Amino acid sequence: MSVAEAPINEAIKALTAKDFATDQEVRWCPGCGDYSILAQVQKVMPTIGVPRENIVIISGIGCSSRFPYYMNTYGMHSIHGRATAIASGLKASRPELSVWVVTGDGDSLSIGGNHTIHLLRRNFDINILLFNNQIYGLTKGQYSPTSEVKKVTKSSPLGSIDHPFNPSALAMGADGSFVGRTMDRDPKHLQMMLTRAHQHRGASFLEIYQNCNIFNDGAFEIFTEKATKPEEVLFLEQGKPLIFGAQQNKGIKLDGFRPVVVELGNGVSADDLWVHDEKDFYKAQILTRMFDDPRADNHLPRPFGVFFESDRLCYEDAMKMQIEEAVAAKGKGNLDKLLRGNEIWEIL
Amino acid sequence: MTEIKLMKGNEALAEAAIQAGCDAYFGYPITPQSEVLEYLAREMPKHGRVVMQAESEVASINMVYGAAGSGFRAMTSSSSPGISLMQEGISYIAGAELPCLIVNVNRAGPGLGTIQPGQGDYFQSTKGGGHGDYRMIVLAPASVQEMADHVFLGFDLADKYRNPVLMLSDGAIGQMMEKVAFKPYKKPDIDKSSWATTGKPKTRDRNYITSLHIQPEKMELHNLKLEEKFNQMREHEVRYEEYNTKEAEYLFVAYGLSARICQKAMDIARGKGIKIGLLRPITLFPYPYKRLAELAPQLKMVLSVELNSGQMIEDVRLGVNGKVPVEFFGRLGGMMPTPESIVHHLETLIMARNGN
Ligand SMILES: Cc1ncc(C[n+]2csc(CCOP(=O)(O)OP(=O)(O)O)c2C)c(N)n1
Ligand code: SF4
Ligand SMILES: [Mg+2]
Repeated sequence: MSVAEAPINEAIKALTAKDFATDQEVRWCPGCGDYSILAQVQKVMPTIGVPRENIVIISGIGCSSRFPYYMNTYGMHSIHGRATAIASGLKASRPELSVWVVTGDGDSLSIGGNHTIHLLRRNFDINILLFNNQIYGLTKGQYSPTSEVKKVTKSSPLGSIDHPFNPSALAMGADGSFVGRTMDRDPKHLQMMLTRAHQHRGASFLEIYQNCNIFNDGAFEIFTEKATKPEEVLFLEQGKPLIFGAQQNKGIKLDGFRPVVVELGNGVSADDLWVHDEKDFYKAQILTRMFDDPRADNHLPRPFGVFFESDRLCYEDAMKMQIEEAVAAKGKGNLDKLLRGNEIWEIL
Repeated sequence: MTEIKLMKGNEALAEAAIQAGCDAYFGYPITPQSEVLEYLAREMPKHGRVVMQAESEVASINMVYGAAGSGFRAMTSSSSPGISLMQEGISYIAGAELPCLIVNVNRAGPGLGTIQPGQGDYFQSTKGGGHGDYRMIVLAPASVQEMADHVFLGFDLADKYRNPVLMLSDGAIGQMMEKVAFKPYKKPDIDKSSWATTGKPKTRDRNYITSLHIQPEKMELHNLKLEEKFNQMREHEVRYEEYNTKEAEYLFVAYGLSARICQKAMDIARGKGIKIGLLRPITLFPYPYKRLAELAPQLKMVLSVELNSGQMIEDVRLGVNGKVPVEFFGRLGGMMPTPESIVHHLETLIMARNGN
């Protein structure tokens, strides 16, 4: 929420989604999930109270990374895998800007995995939107580090043998201070999560399930389609018990450290269920590990929402404090004096 | 028996890797060469070979480092941005004296550039893209046939010199379809037992694969040893092709795709009575400086034609050593010159020289 302190003036209040659109021809395949994400981001932007000129969207390379062209804000379409490093450099230099990274599963977790975990660890106040389609879209369909084992793609004709990342667990492992998940096909939830990511002060890691209808169609359909969504998706709400199911008749209980599904009724009530607390670091680890293959027998539903949020000092704030302390202790530097040094004499 | 197939350049390259006995391939997708990874992912396992999609090109080249260190014939391929990422690894591999084959299907840059063909990576390829004093043989295929042939040659040269070899192709040659013949090939028997990490029996000394020599005296000796290898390459590995040079007054110098276009331009120009020949370097390092020096006295002008803003021209100038004017013609950004436009430029230059 870097610029939220600025008073929302009338001009910003009057902005609409249209003001965030550009005249660029959108070059995603018809039906691509990226369209919905773009629409929701354009809807949310006028509500966050940041002038357009104070927003920067930084992307790497991939289909998702075309995003900055379509947003009427500042943008950088950068290097494959490096958006998180470039964003870190920008935020360190201009902490007053609202910085958003738009990246793909390949971009941020494969070639850019290194910089991504370091951004999270340092806790720059940057919002990372990870468009996860479990495939390399732009290069026409090779498996990615989030593709499931056995996935047959152009570069894995015999089925992938790579164990995939669990992105939210990875973000927790890197000490991300905000970790959440949402999906392209649920505009309301997506909008709410974008707002939450913005409001969080610190690194926000928001994984967005995104359908690549050309190279990996239906990868998340079990979570997004009406027929299966209620049974497969567990929406997390702060302070609310973990309830899901078409009839809202199922819940999650902790059996020791293991989450188990229980049916409500027959003596089991909402009071027996796990109540979600975003501030609970330990429980967030368990939630992110609810990552079962939805085709497996007796699998757990997959959680969507905010797994974890904590107040941790941002890197740019720590840097500012360190600079101020140094100035307080040693006085404001005088470059001219430094260059001249102590041994200066005049030749007459 | 020679097999003849109609293939895309990138596929011919991949097929050649299999036939050349490549034991391990590591790659990361990038247009316009993802077909190499895809072809090998499909075909290598059938031959019991290793193929892996790496997490980046930095990983690919270091996986090659590892596999080559075990004595495997190892290879990677990419296109310009990915090859930039490999430069650190290439420098270390050359320093550690390991053989491997690296293929660059050049696209137009700098930065992300475009996926169309380019020759902007000439400097990076031939002048040491990574740090330190090292060189590598650079092969420049100009046809689908050479996309295959240079793989066999490249692996053999890498083994011969225990040094990385680079094939510098481009997006057009990688993507075009032509007939290609695969001749029977026998992998040379090369004894790698003194350095490959194949275990330490009593009969063998411990060996460390490293490029580090802390004492400058030792480091200098290592550098001198490397330099001696590079001099051997300069002495023995220069390769080029020439056309109509015998009575030529003018000369095109071009490699790879631009040499293909120049061949056509040469025919058109000769049809107009201009006595022009073509020198096509096949190795960009070592460079055919000597042949250029020999040809210089008979020439009125040399035209270096490249898909960049003038890189190889510096080597052409070194070759003719001031004996004849060297001019440049190039297109950029993935654009390709037509043979006619090259001839037009040539005619303009000749007219200017003749003073009208
Ligand atoms: C150094 C480098 N290597 C490879 C590429 C080719 N490349 C571009 S995007 C991409 C992967 C895209 O996948 P992802 O990040 O998941 O984005 P998506 O297209 O699926 O949105 C690759 C391999 C590149 N541009 N640069
Ligand atoms: S390839 Fe897939 S991810 Fe890329 S634009 Fe098309 S549908 Fe979207
Ligand atoms: Mg992707």
